[in-house]
Amino acid sequence: MTTTATTAVAAAALGTRGLSKTFGHGDLAVTAVRAVDLTVAPGEVVLVDGPSGSGKTTLLLMLGALLEPTAGSVIVDGDDIWALPERRRPSLRARHFGFVFQDFNLLGALSAAENVTLAANLAGTTGRAARELAAAALERVGLGHRTDFRPDQLSGGEKQRVAVARALVNNPAVILADEPTANLDAANGRQVARLLRALADDDHRAVIIVTHDNRLHDIADRILWLEDGALRQLDTLATDPVCHMAVTPADRPHIELDGTVWWFCSAGCRDEFAAAPARFTSPQKCVP
Amino acid sequence: MTHRVPLARRYLFGERRRALLSTAGVAVALLLVLILDGIFAGAMRQVTAYVRSSPAAVIVSQRGVRTMHMSNSALPADLAAQARAVEGVGWVAPIGFVSGVVGAQTGGRQLSYVIGYTPGQPGGPHHLVSGSAPVDGEAVIDQIAAVQLGLHIGDQVRVLGVWLQVSGLAEGGTSIVNTTTFVTAAELDRIHGPTISYLLVGAQPGTSATALRDTLTAALPDATVQTRAQFANQEAAVVADMSADVMRIMAIIGFAIALAVVCLTLFTATLARRRDYGIIKALGAGGGRLAGIVIAQAAWTITVALATSVALAFVVGRVVEAVAPTITIAIEPASVLRVAIGAAVIGAASALAPLRRVVAVDPASAFRRTS
Ligand SMILES: Nc1ncnc2c1ncn2[C@@H]1O[C@H](COP(=O)(O)OP(=O)(O)OP(=O)(O)O)[C@@H](O)[C@H]1O
Ligand SMILES: [Mg+2]
Repeated sequence: MTTTATTAVAAAALGTRGLSKTFGHGDLAVTAVRAVDLTVAPGEVVLVDGPSGSGKTTLLLMLGALLEPTAGSVIVDGDDIWALPERRRPSLRARHFGFVFQDFNLLGALSAAENVTLAANLAGTTGRAARELAAAALERVGLGHRTDFRPDQLSGGEKQRVAVARALVNNPAVILADEPTANLDAANGRQVARLLRALADDDHRAVIIVTHDNRLHDIADRILWLEDGALRQLDTLATDPVCHMAVTPADRPHIELDGTVWWFCSAGCRDEFAAAPARFTSPQKCVP
Repeated sequence: MTHRVPLARRYLFGERRRALLSTAGVAVALLLVLILDGIFAGAMRQVTAYVRSSPAAVIVSQRGVRTMHMSNSALPADLAAQARAVEGVGWVAPIGFVSGVVGAQTGGRQLSYVIGYTPGQPGGPHHLVSGSAPVDGEAVIDQIAAVQLGLHIGDQVRVLGVWLQVSGLAEGGTSIVNTTTFVTAAELDRIHGPTISYLLVGAQPGTSATALRDTLTAALPDATVQTRAQFANQEAAVVADMSADVMRIMAIIGFAIALAVVCLTLFTATLARRRDYGIIKALGAGGGRLAGIVIAQAAWTITVALATSVALAFVVGRVVEAVAPTITIAIEPASVLRVAIGAAVIGAASALAPLRRVVAVDPASAFRRTS
């Protein structure tokens, strides 16, 4: 089942229509993304969750003008980015999108400031103007004192904050992040999550995050569930009280206890819960 | 202001060892070419030194003989008088020219050109470092030969089997192959028999060398008449003919080594940075910017290597000349230009394969896990 967001398309930062991607041909064809319709408003944080191999990264790549869809469109500023000539896509990526990657993807040969300045250069800002933008972006993520450090002199959390600074330096309308907290410990993960939330709240950017990380659920306005390449029911995601995994209620094991329905990722978790429900304290509620 | 983050330089010099090895490798290969060129040019200078420093406008030799090196020229005794009668001729200085051996009493020997001239007239040593021009029974030897033979002014030197006294020391007459010794024409006649090998001819004011050559050619149909420049070119061509193939092969080897070094280091460096190029592309770099990063790395390597090799060539030239005074290494602007052009071609060629790789990098690869 495909779900269409209800946000008005006119006000959207990014929208897709029937977005699909099939890798390979014939018997070997793998359809990674199927007919996704999605609209993301400025200032909105959208989380895309789903099992491994469900097509999350593939979807993100198509949104970010990095992977050509097999069918459908990605609308940015009223233009279908995949209908534009190829030569216009690099500068579109530089100006319209900010990317945050799981393994930070900073350039090891450059300092933190140069990493961010380079992104500004790629969007056409050069010289002192670029350096000032970079300094401001690093200040914003709390790294004004680390500008001359190279990535190998920074902690994981600091690296990802540099990456966030790089993503926002060109003032993009859309931030795309793929597992931005997967390589970070809890504290650093929370810090990066707060930063991403702030990019939506303070700057009105649309933030689309692909993640398995439940800690990020707190900052999301919407959580989309991608399975087998298709978006599924959005607003009924539950958290397994035993292993804390996000689960789609529809086809998962569950127990009803004192009028509350508890959903589990597996029969194993359900049985563990059933043996001693009191151990798994707070009452389960559906994530809005 | 259009200053951008100097990615190519950061890549190149961020990895000091790789940069050092590749620029050093290229520099040494280019140095090889420069030094070979320099030895070649130096040999040319040595071989043509006597002719180039002569005051003669034209040089008359036996019909068909065009050089001194590797040649034997004999002219009739009355030819000088005939030449003097030709219009436009200012002066005529006959010289005798014989290839032989000079030796010291200690037993040292050297191959030598022996030139017999009339002191006071053109044809003698261009510049005396010390002592005086020879009279009969004396010889002027080259200062480098003097050092090698252990001879000083006043010592006895054996010229073509006859003992003469060293009256002075000249310079610029010794090459890798041989040296030059000056005696009086009368002395050469005594030692070797009457010898007129060449006529050095000066032009009257207002007569050009080529005009003089043409009138002399008409007047002396049984001799070969060349301008001094022609004669020098012929001398140079003798050396060039002997060594051109060797030089060319060595130069090609030098350039090939340089090419291999740049290609290998640039290619491996580019492959090692594939992921970086993917990231830069994902962040919005177009093909031109990526190509620029690769080309700039090639250009930097080549430029630094070229500058290093030229500087080293001068140092090596000095050192070689100090150690082996008979070898002259002349680093000429034309040679530097040739090597620079060769290096530029090498740089462009070395960038081709990495460019293809970089342009083909998939920006989506930035999202694939490395861990
Ligand atoms: N370049 C490709 N060629 C062929 N198949 C691909 C390619 N990229 C992805 N796929 C396939 O598409 C499907 C979706 O992959 P994708 O990377 O989008 O999943 P994902 O949801 O991001 O997974 P994960 O959570 O493990 O990162 C997978 O079956 C994968 O094997
Ligand atoms: Mg993925």
